[in-house]
Amino acid sequence: MERIILNLKIALGALGNHRLRTVLAVLGVFFGTLSLVIVGNLSDSLSLKTEQEVDSLGKNLVIVFSGQLRRHGPRFPLATRATNLTLDDATAILYAFPHAKEVSPSGMKAFPVRYQNTVLKAVAVNGVAPNFAEVRNFEIASGSPITEDDEKNQRKVAVLGPTTAEKLFGDENPVGKTILIRRVPVQVIGVTVAKGSDISGADQDNQIFVPLKTFLRNFTNKEYVNSIYVQAAGDSVIPSLQKEIVALLRIRHKIRDGMKDDFTVVDLKDVNTLKSDAMGMITILGRTAAAASFLIGALGILSIMILIVNERRMEIGIRRAVGSRKKDIILQFLLESSFISVTGGLIGILIGMMASLVIARVLSYPATISVPGLITAFGASALSGVIAGIYPSFKAIQVNPVDIIRS
Amino acid sequence: MNPLCLMENVKKTFRIGEDLSVEVLKGIDLKVDEGEFIAIMGTSGSGKSTLMNLIGCLDVPTSGRYLLAGREVLGLLDDDLSELRNTHIGFVFQSFYLLPYATVLENVLLPTLYREKTAGHVERRAAEILKLVGLEKRMNFRPNRLSGGEQQRVALCRALMNDPEIILADEPTGQLDSKTASEIMNLLSDLNKKGKTVIVVTHDATIASYAGRVIHIKDGIIIDE
Ligand SMILES: Nc1ncnc2c1ncn2[C@@H]1O[C@H](COP(=O)(O)OP(=O)(O)OP(=O)(O)O)[C@@H](O)[C@H]1O
Ligand SMILES: [Mg+2]
Repeated sequence: MERIILNLKIALGALGNHRLRTVLAVLGVFFGTLSLVIVGNLSDSLSLKTEQEVDSLGKNLVIVFSGQLRRHGPRFPLATRATNLTLDDATAILYAFPHAKEVSPSGMKAFPVRYQNTVLKAVAVNGVAPNFAEVRNFEIASGSPITEDDEKNQRKVAVLGPTTAEKLFGDENPVGKTILIRRVPVQVIGVTVAKGSDISGADQDNQIFVPLKTFLRNFTNKEYVNSIYVQAAGDSVIPSLQKEIVALLRIRHKIRDGMKDDFTVVDLKDVNTLKSDAMGMITILGRTAAAASFLIGALGILSIMILIVNERRMEIGIRRAVGSRKKDIILQFLLESSFISVTGGLIGILIGMMASLVIARVLSYPATISVPGLITAFGASALSGVIAGIYPSFKAIQVNPVDIIRS
Repeated sequence: MNPLCLMENVKKTFRIGEDLSVEVLKGIDLKVDEGEFIAIMGTSGSGKSTLMNLIGCLDVPTSGRYLLAGREVLGLLDDDLSELRNTHIGFVFQSFYLLPYATVLENVLLPTLYREKTAGHVERRAAEILKLVGLEKRMNFRPNRLSGGEQQRVALCRALMNDPEIILADEPTGQLDSKTASEIMNLLSDLNKKGKTVIVVTHDATIASYAGRVIHIKDGIIIDE
């Protein structure tokens, strides 16, 4: 240990004559680790954020939509419509698959809504099963949720999203008031907690929930629903459950082989692929920048090490004369070059952590520290120093002490 | 008792260029016993430094036999030569070769960096040796703040640090004035009286007079003692 400290002290003395070069070399490694750390932390933040968004929609959700959806793009516009997704399909899924913990069929249609003199031209009205709050992770802020009883008795009651409530009632308390949905009087029984927009960007707070039976009988007068939310028993069973649902619905909808589905089964994680693709690009860019910086840093270290090895031929000769082996000399110069790079690396890690915390705050992402990212960054900085030191240290052992003494 | 150094018909040839080579040492027979103080004299280019380097295992003979402290030197690996130098030999050169970025104390400690088993208090030992040569107050100085004589004394301390049997001094006073030179020679004499084997290369008869035995070398041959 004391040997290392003494050797580093001597090295620092030698580097002191080349401050500018040393600083440039350190900067290269610094920027390399900086970008690795930032990219690592931010991609972790992003996946945590999407995970939270997905969970806010409901845990382990598989959604069956009626009709074919266009898979890409920010929203899910219907490509084809279908009118054959039914409550029986929902029940069948629940009974057929033990991995389907809950099913929550729902219908959705936009209607004009009115309270006294306030008219909203088109609000998304959802007919939902009593378990919807649990399955889709909605909480009630005030009043009460839709119950089994409401559903069974086809009651004309509604739970409002906070945005809708605000638009209709302003500061007034909506609970207990009566609103008109398509001229049908409906009593407001509750308001949900604000959730913001969902993963596809749709505002989840500007909608109205009514019992499904009420929705089908009083509003649409149809027997089919738009979607069935299926809660899987766990994260791992989602892919198989997805396949099973497709197979079951094809049979139930009598779709022959070779024909297209008239429904779409979506795993919410699919939606994230788009976002992670974008993050993937950023990651690649960041890694490329990091690799370039490390290269520049390593080249800087290489040149400075060649320089100081040359300047220190006398030192090397005298070390050999007092008994250092060739491997001691190699080790010494590898230590010196990795010391330069690790200095840059540690500064890069420190500033990278601070920078990613700031960036996460600005983007209002959850702040995370990616430990593998830190380890990679540190490893890369140490490695670039070691690699840059290989050639100079082999130059160093070619110094023959006899030649030094003769000159 | 076995001699400390034993050379039999040692030759040293240097290759210069493709097929040109010079034989610098042409058959050296030399026996050095422990505790001797030897001066090697000869004209410039006669091969004195080459012989010193062979004795000190900085270089190996082209042919012949060389035993140092009972070990056959020819055929040893580079690492083994390093170890021999580290434990048995202390070098002093005409130029002092002190590391400019290290303090006096750190320069003296240099040989201990390459010793497998470092005897505990190396720093205390270094301080004691420095006190011996009167430099205890200069321990934390950089070498460039010392006079030539002081620098050579530091180099001598460095040579003593690992307590070797032999001190090899190749023209140790070459860069010093006569007063400082005699100080260095007195130190070497004292060390010899304490049991160290000392071999000094010199052109100067006054310096050689400190030695108990003078060897003359000419054109790579020992001509008389
Ligand atoms: N590595 C080498 N390669 C080629 N020739 C060498 C080498 N080392 C020494 N010589 C030659 O060997 C001869 C003896 O050199 P050496 O240094 O031993 O002489 P010296 O007696 O110490 O002389 P001086 O009194 O000038 O120091 C010289 O001619 C020198 O040029
Ligand atoms: Mg010489």
